[in-house]
Amino acid sequence: MSLFSALSVGASGMAAQRARAELLVENLANAETTRTPGGGPYRRKDVVFESSPVEAPFSSVFDAQVNGPSGVAVSDVITDSSDPERRYMPGHPDADPEGYVAFPHINPAEDMVDLMGSARSYEANVAAIGAVKDMIQRSIDLFR
Amino acid sequence: MLDRVAGQLERYMDLLSSRQKLVASNIANADTPGYHTEDIDFQAELQNAIAGPPHAVEVDGLAMKNDGNNVSLDRESRLLSENALRFNVASNLLRTQIQSIRAAIKEGQSS
Repeated sequence: MSLFSALSVGASGMAAQRARAELLVENLANAETTRTPGGGPYRRKDVVFESSPVEAPFSSVFDAQVNGPSGVAVSDVITDSSDPERRYMPGHPDADPEGYVAFPHINPAEDMVDLMGSARSYEANVAAIGAVKDMIQRSIDLFR
Repeated sequence: MLDRVAGQLERYMDLLSSRQKLVASNIANADTPGYHTEDIDFQAELQNAIAGPPHAVEVDGLAMKNDGNNVSLDRESRLLSENALRFNVASNLLRTQIQSIRAAIKEGQSS
C-alpha cells in the first residue's frame, strides 16, 4: 500500500526540519559564547539536507523500487569555519594580549528567519500527513 | 456489474495515491538543495490501459531557486488538497456501488 509510505515521507520531512530547528536554536543560544570544550568561541552549525529513500514499515522490495518517491534526511552537519568576530573588550577574561575577544560569527536575524522557514516547512509536512491520513481513512470507510 | 466502473475507480484511486506520495515527497524535500519537483502525467497514466506502476516525471516551468531546488510549496499544497478531494469523491462513488450490491444481496436473504 503506497499511501502508508507517504506517511513515512512526511515523517522524514518533520524529523529533518526538527533537526534543523534544533541547530538554529543552538546557534541563537550560543551567539555570545566565547568558551567551548574544544577551545575558542562557538561556531555556527547548519544542516545539509539530501533526499533519501524512506523505510516504510512492512513495505516490500517491490513497493520500494516503484519510481522511488523519496523522503529527506540530514546528510551532514557543517560547522562554520570562517574567522570569529573580534571585539575590543580588554576587561573580558577571554581577551587576548591585545584586548580583543573572539566572538562567534552569528547573525541572530539570519538564524531567526531560517527558524521561521523551518517551522513553516514542518507545518507543510504535517498538512501532507493529515491529507494522506484522510485518504487512508476514506479507503477504510469503503468497508462500512 | 461492479467490475467495469469499480475497476476504473480503483485505477483512479491508485493513481491519486501515487500522486499524493510524490506530493508528500516534494513537500518533504522543499529545502533539499538540487531536488527537482516530481509528478505523474495523470491524463496519460489514466488512459494507459496496462495498469503498470506510474512513471514519475520532472515538472517543467517552475522557478528554480539558487540552490537548484524548484519545489513550489503553493503548487504542492494545491495538489495535496486537490488529490484528497478527488480521492474523497472516488471513494464515495465506490461506496455507493458496493452498497447497492450489498442491498441486492440482503434483499435476497430476507425473502
